Amino acid sequence: MIKIEGLVFRYDGSPRDALNDISLDIEEGDFVGIIGPSGAGKSTLTYALNGVVPHHYSGNFRGRVEICGMDTAKAGPEAISKYVGSVFQDIEGQILSSVVEDEILFGLENFGIPRGEIEPRVEYALKTAGISELRHRNISSLSGGQKQKVALASIIALRPKIMALDEPTGELDPQSSRRVFETLKELNERHGLTIVVVEQKIMMLCEFAHRLVVMDEGRIAAEGPAREVLRRGGMLEEIGVNIPRIATLARKLRGLGLYDGITPLNLAEAEKMMRNGRQC
Amino acid sequence: MKGFLDYVDGNSVLHRLNPMTKLIISFGLCASCFLTQNHAVVAAIALFDLCLGALAGISRRSALIFISLLKLSAALFLLQVFFVRQGNILLVLPFGLRVTDAGVSFSALFALRLAAVTMPLSLMLSITRMSDIANVLVRYLGIPYKYAFVLTTAMRFIPLFTEEMAGIMEAQTARGVRFDTGNFFRKVRLLLPLCVPLLISSVRRIEVSAISAELRGFNLRGRSSGYKRYSFGANDAAALFICVMIIVASAMI
Repeated sequence: MIKIEGLVFRYDGSPRDALNDISLDIEEGDFVGIIGPSGAGKSTLTYALNGVVPHHYSGNFRGRVEICGMDTAKAGPEAISKYVGSVFQDIEGQILSSVVEDEILFGLENFGIPRGEIEPRVEYALKTAGISELRHRNISSLSGGQKQKVALASIIALRPKIMALDEPTGELDPQSSRRVFETLKELNERHGLTIVVVEQKIMMLCEFAHRLVVMDEGRIAAEGPAREVLRRGGMLEEIGVNIPRIATLARKLRGLGLYDGITPLNLAEAEKMMRNGRQC
Repeated sequence: MKGFLDYVDGNSVLHRLNPMTKLIISFGLCASCFLTQNHAVVAAIALFDLCLGALAGISRRSALIFISLLKLSAALFLLQVFFVRQGNILLVLPFGLRVTDAGVSFSALFALRLAAVTMPLSLMLSITRMSDIANVLVRYLGIPYKYAFVLTTAMRFIPLFTEEMAGIMEAQTARGVRFDTGNFFRKVRLLLPLCVPLLISSVRRIEVSAISAELRGFNLRGRSSGYKRYSFGANDAAALFICVMIIVASAMI
Protein backbone atom coordinates (compact mmCIF):
# COMPACT_ATOMS: atom_id res chain seq x y z
CA MET A 1 0.00 0.00 0.00
CA ILE A 2 2.79 2.45 0.96
CA LYS A 3 6.30 1.82 -0.28
CA ILE A 4 9.09 4.24 0.52
CA GLU A 5 12.51 3.54 -0.95
CA GLY A 6 15.68 5.46 -0.15
CA LEU A 7 13.80 8.71 0.43
CA VAL A 8 15.99 11.76 0.99
CA PHE A 9 14.50 15.23 1.29
CA ARG A 10 16.06 18.56 2.08
CA TYR A 11 13.92 21.72 2.31
CA ASP A 12 15.15 24.60 0.19
CA GLY A 13 17.49 26.73 2.26
CA SER A 14 17.96 24.15 4.98
CA PRO A 15 21.52 23.05 5.82
CA ARG A 16 20.61 19.42 6.46
CA ASP A 17 18.37 16.66 5.17
CA ALA A 18 14.98 16.49 6.87
CA LEU A 19 14.64 12.88 5.72
CA ASN A 20 17.73 10.82 5.22
CA ASP A 21 17.52 7.50 3.41
CA ILE A 22 14.11 6.38 4.62
CA SER A 23 12.84 3.01 3.46
CA LEU A 24 9.56 1.77 4.80
CA ASP A 25 6.83 -0.63 3.72
CA ILE A 26 3.34 -0.27 5.11
CA GLU A 27 0.76 -2.93 4.34
CA GLU A 28 -2.94 -2.38 3.83
CA GLY A 29 -4.81 -2.29 7.15
CA ASP A 30 -1.70 -1.47 9.18
CA PHE A 31 -1.73 1.00 12.07
CA VAL A 32 1.70 2.61 12.27
CA GLY A 33 2.78 5.05 14.96
CA ILE A 34 5.69 7.39 14.28
CA ILE A 35 7.55 8.78 17.25
CA GLY A 36 10.74 10.72 17.78
CA PRO A 37 12.17 13.96 19.15
CA SER A 38 11.26 17.26 17.50
CA GLY A 39 13.14 17.92 14.30
CA ALA A 40 13.46 14.17 13.65
CA GLY A 41 11.56 14.44 10.36
CA LYS A 42 8.24 12.96 11.50
CA SER A 43 6.06 15.67 9.97
CA THR A 44 8.12 15.67 6.79
CA LEU A 45 7.51 11.93 6.51
CA THR A 46 3.74 12.48 6.63
CA TYR A 47 4.18 15.27 4.06
CA ALA A 48 5.94 12.75 1.83
CA LEU A 49 2.91 10.47 2.12
CA ASN A 50 0.31 13.06 1.16
CA GLY A 51 2.37 14.70 -1.56
CA VAL A 52 2.88 18.02 0.25
CA VAL A 53 6.54 17.13 -0.22
CA PRO A 54 7.68 17.71 -2.97
CA HIS A 55 4.58 19.48 -4.44
CA HIS A 56 3.89 22.17 -1.84
CA TYR A 57 7.29 22.52 -0.17
CA SER A 58 10.07 22.50 -2.69
CA GLY A 59 13.48 21.06 -2.00
CA ASN A 60 15.87 18.35 -2.96
CA PHE A 61 13.79 15.16 -3.27
CA ARG A 62 15.43 11.83 -4.01
CA GLY A 63 14.21 8.27 -3.74
CA ARG A 64 10.72 7.03 -4.36
CA VAL A 65 7.39 7.13 -2.53
CA GLU A 66 4.69 4.89 -3.89
CA ILE A 67 1.08 5.11 -2.68
CA CYS A 68 -1.22 2.38 -4.00
CA GLY A 69 1.15 1.94 -6.93
CA MET A 70 1.31 5.69 -7.69
CA ASP A 71 4.60 7.61 -7.68
CA THR A 72 3.94 10.70 -5.52
CA ALA A 73 6.63 12.75 -7.26
CA LYS A 74 4.77 12.39 -10.55
CA ALA A 75 1.14 12.50 -9.37
CA GLY A 76 -0.32 15.81 -8.20
CA PRO A 77 -1.43 16.38 -4.60
CA GLU A 78 -5.09 16.11 -5.64
CA ALA A 79 -4.55 12.67 -7.19
CA ILE A 80 -2.71 11.52 -4.08
CA SER A 81 -5.36 12.92 -1.76
CA LYS A 82 -7.93 10.57 -3.30
CA TYR A 83 -6.01 7.85 -1.48
CA VAL A 84 -4.43 9.66 1.45
CA GLY A 85 -6.40 11.79 3.91
CA SER A 86 -4.45 14.15 6.13
CA VAL A 87 -5.09 15.58 9.58
CA PHE A 88 -2.78 18.08 11.24
CA GLN A 89 -1.92 19.21 14.74
CA ASP A 90 -3.13 22.78 14.20
CA ILE A 91 -6.82 22.16 14.71
CA GLU A 92 -7.96 25.69 13.88
CA GLY A 93 -5.71 26.08 10.87
CA GLN A 94 -6.91 23.01 9.02
CA ILE A 95 -10.61 23.82 9.44
CA LEU A 96 -11.79 26.08 6.65
CA SER A 97 -15.51 26.56 7.29
CA SER A 98 -17.62 28.05 10.05
CA VAL A 99 -20.22 25.29 10.30
CA VAL A 100 -19.55 21.55 10.75
CA GLU A 101 -21.66 20.48 7.77
CA ASP A 102 -19.89 22.91 5.42
CA GLU A 103 -16.49 21.64 6.51
CA ILE A 104 -17.46 18.11 5.51
CA LEU A 105 -19.03 19.28 2.25
CA PHE A 106 -15.88 21.21 1.27
CA GLY A 107 -13.85 18.22 0.07
CA LEU A 108 -16.87 16.38 -1.35
CA GLU A 109 -17.84 19.38 -3.48
CA ASN A 110 -14.29 19.94 -4.68
CA PHE A 111 -13.77 16.37 -5.78
CA GLY A 112 -17.07 16.47 -7.68
CA ILE A 113 -18.70 13.61 -5.80
CA PRO A 114 -22.09 12.90 -7.47
CA ARG A 115 -24.97 14.71 -5.78
CA GLY A 116 -26.82 11.55 -4.78
CA GLU A 117 -23.76 10.26 -2.97
CA ILE A 118 -23.01 13.37 -0.94
CA GLU A 119 -25.71 13.12 1.74
CA PRO A 120 -24.96 9.45 2.63
CA ARG A 121 -21.27 10.29 2.81
CA VAL A 122 -21.83 13.27 5.11
CA GLU A 123 -23.97 11.11 7.40
CA TYR A 124 -21.43 8.30 7.34
CA ALA A 125 -18.55 10.63 8.17
CA LEU A 126 -20.41 12.30 11.03
CA LYS A 127 -21.51 8.96 12.44
CA THR A 128 -18.07 7.36 12.19
CA ALA A 129 -16.43 10.32 13.91
CA GLY A 130 -19.22 10.22 16.52
CA ILE A 131 -20.40 13.79 15.95
CA SER A 132 -23.77 13.34 14.21
CA GLU A 133 -25.41 15.72 16.70
CA LEU A 134 -22.96 18.51 15.87
CA ARG A 135 -23.87 18.71 12.17
CA HIS A 136 -25.38 22.21 12.21
CA ARG A 137 -23.20 23.67 14.95
CA ASN A 138 -20.89 26.62 14.59
CA ILE A 139 -17.35 25.28 14.71
CA SER A 140 -16.24 28.17 16.95
CA SER A 141 -18.59 26.86 19.66
CA LEU A 142 -16.97 23.39 19.80
CA SER A 143 -14.27 22.06 22.13
CA GLY A 144 -10.79 21.17 20.86
CA GLY A 145 -11.57 17.46 20.83
CA GLN A 146 -14.80 18.01 18.92
CA LYS A 147 -13.02 20.23 16.40
CA GLN A 148 -10.39 17.58 15.77
CA LYS A 149 -13.20 15.09 15.18
CA VAL A 150 -14.73 17.49 12.67
CA ALA A 151 -11.36 17.53 10.89
CA LEU A 152 -11.35 13.71 10.99
CA ALA A 153 -14.92 13.55 9.67
CA SER A 154 -14.10 15.89 6.79
CA ILE A 155 -11.43 13.40 5.72
CA ILE A 156 -13.49 10.27 6.43
CA ALA A 157 -16.16 11.62 4.05
CA LEU A 158 -13.63 11.47 1.22
CA ARG A 159 -13.20 7.72 1.88
CA PRO A 160 -9.42 7.61 1.64
CA LYS A 161 -7.58 4.29 1.88
CA ILE A 162 -4.84 5.75 4.03
CA MET A 163 -4.92 8.33 6.79
CA ALA A 164 -1.79 10.30 7.59
CA LEU A 165 -2.10 12.22 10.84
CA ASP A 166 0.50 14.64 12.16
CA GLU A 167 0.15 14.85 15.94
CA PRO A 168 -3.65 14.95 15.83
CA THR A 169 -3.87 15.07 19.61
CA GLY A 170 -1.09 17.62 20.15
CA GLU A 171 -3.50 20.28 21.40
CA LEU A 172 -5.87 17.94 23.24
CA ASP A 173 -6.28 16.75 26.81
CA PRO A 174 -5.73 13.03 27.59
CA GLN A 175 -9.42 12.13 27.44
CA SER A 176 -10.07 13.81 24.08
CA SER A 177 -6.82 12.31 22.73
CA ARG A 178 -8.07 8.89 23.67
CA ARG A 179 -11.37 9.45 21.90
CA VAL A 180 -9.56 10.50 18.73
CA PHE A 181 -7.46 7.32 18.89
CA GLU A 182 -10.55 5.20 19.49
CA THR A 183 -12.07 6.66 16.33
CA LEU A 184 -8.87 5.83 14.47
CA LYS A 185 -8.98 2.27 15.82
CA GLU A 186 -12.52 1.88 14.59
CA LEU A 187 -11.60 3.20 11.16
CA ASN A 188 -8.71 0.78 11.08
CA GLU A 189 -10.52 -2.31 12.32
CA ARG A 190 -14.01 -1.88 10.96
CA HIS A 191 -13.38 0.06 7.80
CA GLY A 192 -9.95 -1.32 6.91
CA LEU A 193 -8.17 2.05 6.68
CA THR A 194 -4.42 2.12 6.87
CA ILE A 195 -3.39 4.56 9.60
CA VAL A 196 -0.06 6.36 9.85
CA VAL A 197 0.05 8.64 12.87
CA VAL A 198 2.79 10.84 14.28
CA GLU A 199 2.30 11.06 18.02
CA GLN A 200 4.26 12.10 21.11
CA LYS A 201 2.07 10.22 23.57
CA ILE A 202 3.87 6.89 23.49
CA MET A 203 1.38 5.11 25.76
CA MET A 204 -1.33 5.88 23.24
CA LEU A 205 0.77 4.43 20.42
CA CYS A 206 1.66 1.35 22.46
CA GLU A 207 -2.00 0.67 23.01
CA PHE A 208 -3.36 1.40 19.54
CA ALA A 209 -0.59 1.05 16.94
CA HIS A 210 0.40 -2.31 15.50
CA ARG A 211 3.84 -1.05 14.70
CA LEU A 212 6.12 1.77 15.88
CA VAL A 213 8.62 3.67 13.78
CA VAL A 214 11.14 5.63 15.83
CA MET A 215 12.76 8.50 13.97
CA ASP A 216 15.89 10.43 14.82
CA GLU A 217 17.67 13.07 12.75
CA GLY A 218 15.81 12.17 9.58
CA ARG A 219 16.49 8.44 9.84
CA ILE A 220 14.51 5.47 11.09
CA ALA A 221 16.21 4.53 14.35
CA ALA A 222 14.00 1.56 15.19
CA GLU A 223 10.96 -0.12 13.76
CA GLY A 224 8.71 -2.98 14.75
CA PRO A 225 5.90 -3.98 17.09
CA ALA A 226 5.71 -1.75 20.20
CA ARG A 227 6.97 -4.49 22.53
CA GLU A 228 10.06 -5.11 20.45
CA VAL A 229 10.83 -1.42 20.07
CA LEU A 230 10.40 -0.78 23.79
CA ARG A 231 12.91 -3.50 24.62
CA ARG A 232 15.53 -1.14 23.22
CA GLY A 233 14.70 1.38 25.94
CA GLY A 234 18.26 2.65 26.38
CA MET A 235 18.55 3.71 22.76
CA LEU A 236 15.13 5.37 22.87
CA GLU A 237 16.07 7.38 25.96
CA GLU A 238 19.31 8.40 24.32
CA ILE A 239 17.56 9.95 21.33
CA GLY A 240 15.02 11.65 23.57
CA VAL A 241 11.90 9.50 23.28
CA ASN A 242 9.97 9.20 26.51
CA ILE A 243 9.33 5.57 27.20
CA PRO A 244 6.53 4.38 29.48
CA ARG A 245 7.63 3.80 33.09
CA ILE A 246 6.28 0.25 33.06
CA ALA A 247 8.56 -0.53 30.10
CA THR A 248 11.53 0.97 31.98
CA LEU A 249 10.60 -1.11 35.02
CA ALA A 250 10.43 -4.29 32.91
CA ARG A 251 13.84 -3.50 31.42
CA LYS A 252 15.38 -2.95 34.86
CA LEU A 253 13.85 -6.15 36.27
CA ARG A 254 15.13 -7.96 33.21
CA GLY A 255 18.60 -6.56 33.84
CA LEU A 256 18.49 -7.84 37.42
CA GLY A 257 17.46 -11.26 36.17
CA LEU A 258 14.09 -11.02 37.92
CA TYR A 259 11.90 -11.03 34.82
CA ASP A 260 12.16 -12.53 31.38
CA GLY A 261 8.67 -12.15 29.91
CA ILE A 262 7.10 -9.76 27.43
CA THR A 263 7.39 -5.96 27.81
CA PRO A 264 4.12 -4.81 29.39
CA LEU A 265 2.22 -2.20 27.38
CA ASN A 266 -0.53 -1.36 29.83
CA LEU A 267 -1.23 -1.41 33.53
CA ALA A 268 -2.95 -4.81 33.47
CA GLU A 269 0.11 -6.39 31.88
CA ALA A 270 2.37 -4.57 34.31
CA GLU A 271 0.37 -5.95 37.22
CA LYS A 272 0.71 -9.43 35.80
CA MET A 273 4.45 -8.89 35.45
CA MET A 274 4.76 -7.82 39.09
CA ARG A 275 2.65 -10.73 40.37
CA ASN A 276 4.14 -13.50 38.32
CA GLY A 277 7.69 -12.29 37.95
CA ARG A 278 9.71 -14.99 36.34
CA GLN A 279 6.77 -17.10 35.19
CA CYS A 280 5.24 -14.34 33.11
CA MET B 1 -19.01 43.45 19.72
CA LYS B 2 -17.32 40.08 20.11
CA GLY B 3 -18.67 37.53 17.64
CA PHE B 4 -20.90 40.06 15.88
CA LEU B 5 -20.05 38.47 12.54
CA ASP B 6 -20.93 34.94 13.67
CA TYR B 7 -23.81 33.11 12.07
CA VAL B 8 -26.80 32.63 14.37
CA ASP B 9 -28.70 29.48 13.52
CA GLY B 10 -32.44 29.78 13.15
CA ASN B 11 -35.46 28.94 11.07
CA SER B 12 -37.13 32.32 10.70
CA VAL B 13 -38.62 33.49 7.41
CA LEU B 14 -35.51 35.64 6.92
CA HIS B 15 -33.17 32.71 7.55
CA ARG B 16 -35.00 30.76 4.87
CA LEU B 17 -34.72 33.44 2.20
CA ASN B 18 -32.41 32.83 -0.73
CA PRO B 19 -28.91 34.12 0.25
CA MET B 20 -28.92 36.19 -2.93
CA THR B 21 -32.17 37.88 -1.85
CA LYS B 22 -30.63 38.67 1.51
CA LEU B 23 -27.56 40.15 -0.18
CA ILE B 24 -29.69 42.30 -2.49
CA ILE B 25 -31.91 43.50 0.36
CA SER B 26 -28.99 44.47 2.56
CA PHE B 27 -27.31 46.40 -0.23
CA GLY B 28 -30.69 47.85 -1.24
CA LEU B 29 -31.22 49.19 2.28
CA CYS B 30 -27.72 50.69 2.23
CA ALA B 31 -28.47 52.36 -1.09
CA SER B 32 -31.73 53.81 0.28
CA CYS B 33 -29.82 55.48 3.10
CA PHE B 34 -27.65 57.30 0.59
CA LEU B 35 -30.48 58.12 -1.81
CA THR B 36 -32.42 60.13 0.72
CA GLN B 37 -31.43 63.43 2.33
CA ASN B 38 -34.21 63.18 4.88
CA HIS B 39 -33.26 62.40 8.50
CA ALA B 40 -36.61 60.80 9.24
CA VAL B 41 -36.28 58.37 6.32
CA VAL B 42 -32.81 57.26 7.46
CA ALA B 43 -34.09 56.87 11.02
CA ALA B 44 -37.04 54.86 9.68
CA ILE B 45 -34.66 52.59 7.79
CA ALA B 46 -32.65 52.07 10.97
CA LEU B 47 -35.88 51.21 12.77
CA PHE B 48 -36.79 48.85 9.93
CA ASP B 49 -33.37 47.16 10.37
CA LEU B 50 -34.17 46.60 14.04
CA CYS B 51 -37.57 45.13 13.11
CA LEU B 52 -35.83 42.77 10.68
CA GLY B 53 -33.53 41.72 13.53
CA ALA B 54 -36.56 40.96 15.69
CA LEU B 55 -38.16 39.02 12.83
CA ALA B 56 -34.99 36.93 12.51
CA GLY B 57 -35.13 36.20 16.24
CA ILE B 58 -31.96 38.12 17.02
CA SER B 59 -33.47 41.28 18.47
CA ARG B 60 -31.05 41.38 21.41
CA ARG B 61 -28.05 41.02 19.20
CA SER B 62 -29.29 43.59 16.68
CA ALA B 63 -30.05 46.03 19.51
CA LEU B 64 -26.52 45.55 20.85
CA ILE B 65 -25.01 46.14 17.43
CA PHE B 66 -27.21 49.20 16.98
CA ILE B 67 -26.16 50.66 20.33
CA SER B 68 -22.47 50.11 19.51
CA LEU B 69 -23.00 51.79 16.16
CA LEU B 70 -24.79 54.71 17.82
CA LYS B 71 -21.80 55.23 20.10
CA LEU B 72 -19.52 55.32 17.07
CA SER B 73 -21.96 57.61 15.29
CA ALA B 74 -22.01 59.97 18.27
CA ALA B 75 -18.22 60.21 18.13
CA LEU B 76 -18.35 60.93 14.40
CA PHE B 77 -21.10 63.50 14.96
CA LEU B 78 -18.86 65.37 17.40
CA LEU B 79 -15.92 65.19 15.00
CA GLN B 80 -18.03 66.64 12.18
CA VAL B 81 -20.26 69.15 13.83
CA PHE B 82 -17.58 71.71 14.73
CA PHE B 83 -16.11 71.91 11.26
CA VAL B 84 -19.10 72.77 9.06
CA ARG B 85 -19.06 76.54 8.73
CA GLN B 86 -22.11 77.14 6.54
CA GLY B 87 -25.56 77.93 7.93
CA ASN B 88 -26.78 79.94 10.90
CA ILE B 89 -24.53 79.95 13.92
CA LEU B 90 -26.10 78.25 16.92
CA LEU B 91 -23.12 78.23 19.26
CA VAL B 92 -19.71 79.92 19.26
CA LEU B 93 -16.90 78.09 20.97
CA PRO B 94 -13.27 79.04 21.75
CA PHE B 95 -10.48 78.42 19.18
CA GLY B 96 -12.70 79.63 16.33
CA LEU B 97 -14.97 76.59 16.52
CA ARG B 98 -18.66 77.06 15.93
CA VAL B 99 -21.78 74.96 15.66
CA THR B 100 -24.20 75.85 12.86
CA ASP B 101 -27.67 74.53 12.06
CA ALA B 102 -26.43 73.17 8.72
CA GLY B 103 -23.56 71.49 10.55
CA VAL B 104 -25.89 69.83 13.03
CA SER B 105 -28.18 68.69 10.24
CA PHE B 106 -25.35 67.38 8.06
CA SER B 107 -23.55 65.62 10.94
CA ALA B 108 -26.76 64.07 12.25
CA LEU B 109 -27.57 62.71 8.81
CA PHE B 110 -24.03 61.40 8.49
CA ALA B 111 -24.13 59.69 11.90
CA LEU B 112 -27.60 58.22 11.30
CA ARG B 113 -26.50 56.92 7.94
CA LEU B 114 -23.51 55.16 9.43
CA ALA B 115 -25.75 53.23 11.81
CA ALA B 116 -28.47 52.53 9.26
CA VAL B 117 -26.00 51.41 6.57
CA THR B 118 -23.98 49.06 8.76
CA MET B 119 -26.98 47.37 10.35
CA PRO B 120 -28.38 45.51 7.30
CA LEU B 121 -24.95 44.14 6.40
CA SER B 122 -24.25 42.90 9.89
CA LEU B 123 -27.79 41.44 10.14
CA MET B 124 -27.33 39.69 6.83
CA LEU B 125 -24.07 38.14 8.04
CA SER B 126 -25.81 37.04 11.27
CA ILE B 127 -28.51 35.09 9.49
CA THR B 128 -26.66 33.82 6.41
CA ARG B 129 -23.88 31.28 6.48
CA MET B 130 -20.68 32.52 4.90
CA SER B 131 -20.56 29.38 2.78
CA ASP B 132 -24.01 30.18 1.37
CA ILE B 133 -22.93 33.72 0.52
CA ALA B 134 -19.80 32.34 -1.16
CA ASN B 135 -21.85 29.76 -3.07
CA VAL B 136 -24.33 32.30 -4.48
CA LEU B 137 -21.54 34.73 -5.34
CA VAL B 138 -19.89 31.98 -7.35
CA ARG B 139 -23.04 30.56 -8.89
CA TYR B 140 -25.11 33.66 -9.67
CA LEU B 141 -22.55 36.42 -9.96
CA GLY B 142 -19.84 34.31 -11.57
CA ILE B 143 -17.21 35.44 -9.07
CA PRO B 144 -14.26 32.99 -9.19
CA TYR B 145 -14.39 30.58 -6.25
CA LYS B 146 -10.93 31.67 -5.11
CA TYR B 147 -12.19 35.18 -4.32
CA ALA B 148 -15.28 33.88 -2.58
CA PHE B 149 -13.03 31.57 -0.56
CA VAL B 150 -10.83 34.51 0.45
CA LEU B 151 -13.94 36.25 1.77
CA THR B 152 -15.16 33.30 3.83
CA THR B 153 -11.70 32.50 5.14
CA ALA B 154 -11.04 36.11 6.12
CA MET B 155 -14.27 36.08 8.14
CA ARG B 156 -13.20 32.87 9.82
CA PHE B 157 -9.74 34.15 10.63
CA ILE B 158 -10.80 37.42 12.31
CA PRO B 159 -11.83 35.75 15.61
CA LEU B 160 -8.85 33.39 15.42
CA PHE B 161 -6.41 36.27 15.16
CA THR B 162 -8.16 38.15 17.96
CA GLU B 163 -7.75 35.08 20.13
CA GLU B 164 -4.13 34.71 19.10
CA MET B 165 -3.44 38.37 19.96
CA ALA B 166 -5.12 37.92 23.35
CA GLY B 167 -2.88 34.88 23.95
CA ILE B 168 0.27 36.81 23.05
CA MET B 169 -0.80 39.71 25.27
CA GLU B 170 -1.40 37.34 28.16
CA ALA B 171 2.03 35.82 27.68
CA GLN B 172 3.59 39.30 27.70
CA THR B 173 1.56 40.33 30.75
CA ALA B 174 2.93 37.27 32.54
CA ARG B 175 6.41 38.62 31.73
CA GLY B 176 5.55 41.91 33.41
CA VAL B 177 4.38 44.07 30.48
CA ARG B 178 1.59 46.36 31.68
CA PHE B 179 -1.02 46.68 28.95
CA ASP B 180 -3.55 48.15 31.37
CA THR B 181 -1.97 51.58 31.06
CA GLY B 182 -4.37 54.46 30.55
CA ASN B 183 -1.97 56.22 28.22
CA PHE B 184 -3.12 55.49 24.67
CA PHE B 185 0.26 56.18 23.03
CA ARG B 186 2.10 54.06 25.57
CA LYS B 187 -0.32 51.21 24.92
CA VAL B 188 0.21 51.46 21.16
CA ARG B 189 3.96 51.43 21.74
CA LEU B 190 3.61 48.26 23.82
CA LEU B 191 1.31 46.58 21.29
CA LEU B 192 3.31 47.32 18.14
CA PRO B 193 6.11 44.80 18.78
CA LEU B 194 3.45 42.10 19.27
CA CYS B 195 2.56 42.35 15.60
CA VAL B 196 5.67 40.32 14.78
CA PRO B 197 4.72 37.16 16.74
CA LEU B 198 1.13 37.60 15.57
CA LEU B 199 2.27 37.78 11.96
CA ILE B 200 4.51 34.73 12.33
CA SER B 201 1.83 32.58 13.96
CA SER B 202 -0.75 33.78 11.43
CA VAL B 203 1.47 32.90 8.49
CA ARG B 204 2.06 29.47 9.99
CA ARG B 205 -1.67 28.95 10.46
CA ILE B 206 -2.46 30.13 6.93
CA GLU B 207 0.14 27.69 5.62
CA VAL B 208 -1.71 24.82 7.33
CA SER B 209 -5.00 26.12 5.90
CA ALA B 210 -3.53 26.27 2.41
CA ILE B 211 -2.22 22.71 2.65
CA SER B 212 -5.49 21.50 4.13
CA ALA B 213 -7.47 23.15 1.30
CA GLU B 214 -5.11 21.88 -1.37
CA LEU B 215 -5.29 18.32 -0.07
CA ARG B 216 -9.06 18.45 -0.18
CA GLY B 217 -9.20 19.33 -3.84
CA PHE B 218 -9.40 23.13 -3.64
CA ASN B 219 -7.82 23.52 -7.07
CA LEU B 220 -10.34 21.15 -8.67
CA ARG B 221 -13.32 23.24 -7.68
CA GLY B 222 -15.44 24.67 -10.47
CA ARG B 223 -18.43 27.00 -10.67
CA SER B 224 -20.96 24.19 -10.43
CA SER B 225 -19.24 22.32 -7.59
CA GLY B 226 -21.51 23.69 -4.85
CA TYR B 227 -23.76 20.99 -3.43
CA LYS B 228 -26.47 23.18 -2.00
CA ARG B 229 -29.21 24.52 -4.25
CA TYR B 230 -30.97 27.75 -3.39
CA SER B 231 -34.55 28.05 -4.49
CA PHE B 232 -36.29 31.33 -5.23
CA GLY B 233 -39.79 31.36 -3.78
CA ALA B 234 -42.73 33.64 -3.14
CA ASN B 235 -41.12 34.93 0.07
CA ASP B 236 -38.08 36.04 -1.91
CA ALA B 237 -40.26 37.83 -4.45
CA ALA B 238 -42.21 39.58 -1.68
CA ALA B 239 -39.02 40.57 0.14
CA LEU B 240 -37.47 41.96 -3.02
CA PHE B 241 -40.67 43.86 -3.80
CA ILE B 242 -40.63 45.50 -0.36
CA CYS B 243 -36.95 46.32 -0.85
CA VAL B 244 -37.61 47.99 -4.21
CA MET B 245 -40.46 49.99 -2.67
CA ILE B 246 -38.17 51.23 0.09
CA ILE B 247 -35.51 52.24 -2.43
CA VAL B 248 -38.04 54.09 -4.60
CA ALA B 249 -39.65 55.78 -1.59
CA SER B 250 -36.33 56.94 -0.16
CA ALA B 251 -35.25 58.29 -3.55
CA MET B 252 -38.47 60.31 -3.79
CA ILE B 253 -38.72 61.65 -0.23
